[in-house]
Amino acid sequence: MEEQIRKLNAEYGFNLSEDEIKVIIQQAEETERLLRPLNEMDLIDVMPILKVEKKKVKK
Amino acid sequence: MRPIDIEATTIGEISRHIRAKKLSPVELTNLFLQRIKKLNPVLNAYVTVTEESARADAKVAEREISRGRYRGPLHGIPFSIKDNLVTEGVRTTAGSKVLAEWVPDHDATVVERLKKAGAIILGKTNMHEWASGGTTINPFYGTTHNPWDLQRVPGGSSGGSAAAVAASLCLGSIGTDNAGSVRNPASFCGTVGLKATYGRVSRFGDVPGTGGFSSDHFGIFSKSISDCATILKDIAGYDARDPLSSEHPVANFSRDIGKSVKGLKFGILRGYFEEKVAAEVKTAIEEAARLLHSLGMKKVEFSIPHMDLIPAVQTVTSRVENVVHLMPYMKSRPNDFSRPLLHRLIGSLMIPASSYVTAQRARRIICEEFEKAFDKLDVIVTPTTPITAPTIEECKRGFVEIDGRKIALQPAGVSLGTTFTVPFNVTGLPAVSLCCGFSSLGLPIGLQIVGGNFEESKVFQVAHAYEQAARWFVKRPDIGRNEAGSA
Repeated sequence: MEEQIRKLNAEYGFNLSEDEIKVIIQQAEETERLLRPLNEMDLIDVMPILKVEKKKVKK
Repeated sequence: MRPIDIEATTIGEISRHIRAKKLSPVELTNLFLQRIKKLNPVLNAYVTVTEESARADAKVAEREISRGRYRGPLHGIPFSIKDNLVTEGVRTTAGSKVLAEWVPDHDATVVERLKKAGAIILGKTNMHEWASGGTTINPFYGTTHNPWDLQRVPGGSSGGSAAAVAASLCLGSIGTDNAGSVRNPASFCGTVGLKATYGRVSRFGDVPGTGGFSSDHFGIFSKSISDCATILKDIAGYDARDPLSSEHPVANFSRDIGKSVKGLKFGILRGYFEEKVAAEVKTAIEEAARLLHSLGMKKVEFSIPHMDLIPAVQTVTSRVENVVHLMPYMKSRPNDFSRPLLHRLIGSLMIPASSYVTAQRARRIICEEFEKAFDKLDVIVTPTTPITAPTIEECKRGFVEIDGRKIALQPAGVSLGTTFTVPFNVTGLPAVSLCCGFSSLGLPIGLQIVGGNFEESKVFQVAHAYEQAARWFVKRPDIGRNEAGSA
């Protein structure tokens, strides 16, 4: 991840300091932890929603 | 012209007088412009005031009405527009430095429809930078202050719109809501705030990069539920320029307002909404539930099995969809982003594509679980926000103390202020926030009422019944009376 951030820093010209790189790594790790339960689910048979299809709920 | 109490009045009341030619749109516009001149330096709700065009449009409205060409209940009514909806000939910044000088050459569909209905646009309202936060502490355009307590934020990202309506600097406003950006500030400022069913309102003319395209909605701020239904009627409906807008027919959303709610069922979601709620908010919601029960509604407890996945689904969906739009600016003008936002956006680029697809799979399951719940329910009732408006200082510090507990305002994933609103961005269900009481510090508390897909009329029916029974709307912020005198 750090390597990827440094690559983006060079490519995009962000001029990130070392402290800023640490902050981004920490935030990205927190996001990774948040996503872990989602990524661990077996949803291979579920069709992804790519448009939020709306239909009237029948009562 | 008859004198009006500008703070107490609603679109419903004003439009009757305009139609009867007892109230002049020109005089009304002047009154609001005077009030903006007095109070905006204190609140910073507007970033641009379109004084000249507002006066010109009001003259046109007056001429039309005097000649018998009354367009409907929004004719001559003063509105404001969040600064991430494009407006022809009027600077549109999206709260960013990148777009500080951008003047679009067309209107968003919603703005076009408001103008067609005869509304008078008073200006553009302040917002969080690129709509990426819930405080409206903006590093480039200043902080918007909460009319109920100037030391506090109005919420966000549509904080300027909420403050403008709460302080009577307009009678209605249009904002955007990707995670709660209409309902959160509505809750903090004590106004009505609606996001309709996904697709109900065209998003053509939203500034790309200010919300994920599949979870973002345009929304309405108003002073009453009835006004909100009136506005929705004029801005809803299919738009060929927004391929994600719905062809579902536009109803008369006011049709069930005033009807009895006896026998209708309101759902309380077990578990999810009980954590991290301030005691005063919890008490207010319980009292609201008791009031709905006393009106003849039945309380039903239910659960959503995959509720715990919602913060992850929302985080992936909106951050990935959003950052894609901003990548060109990140490359060409990285110094024109605030550093905290730039850090967050770089983090968004680290999210794997596979997580995005998995999130959309989980999202289908969550949507189906809510649809199943609505087989047995008419509406869902939740707090809008777990806390009342935090101070500007607390937001800068990054945490609040709730009943002796220190809680982070912006943890990984969804922010504290959008905990209860995000599920309805993920599912696209219609949801409104309205005031359900005040804290011991005199700050508004928001009640969220959620309906099934395209069931806005039912949401309005229940919300209006509650609003009229509870009558919290009689309480108004002192801002117009103490800080700068009444307009």
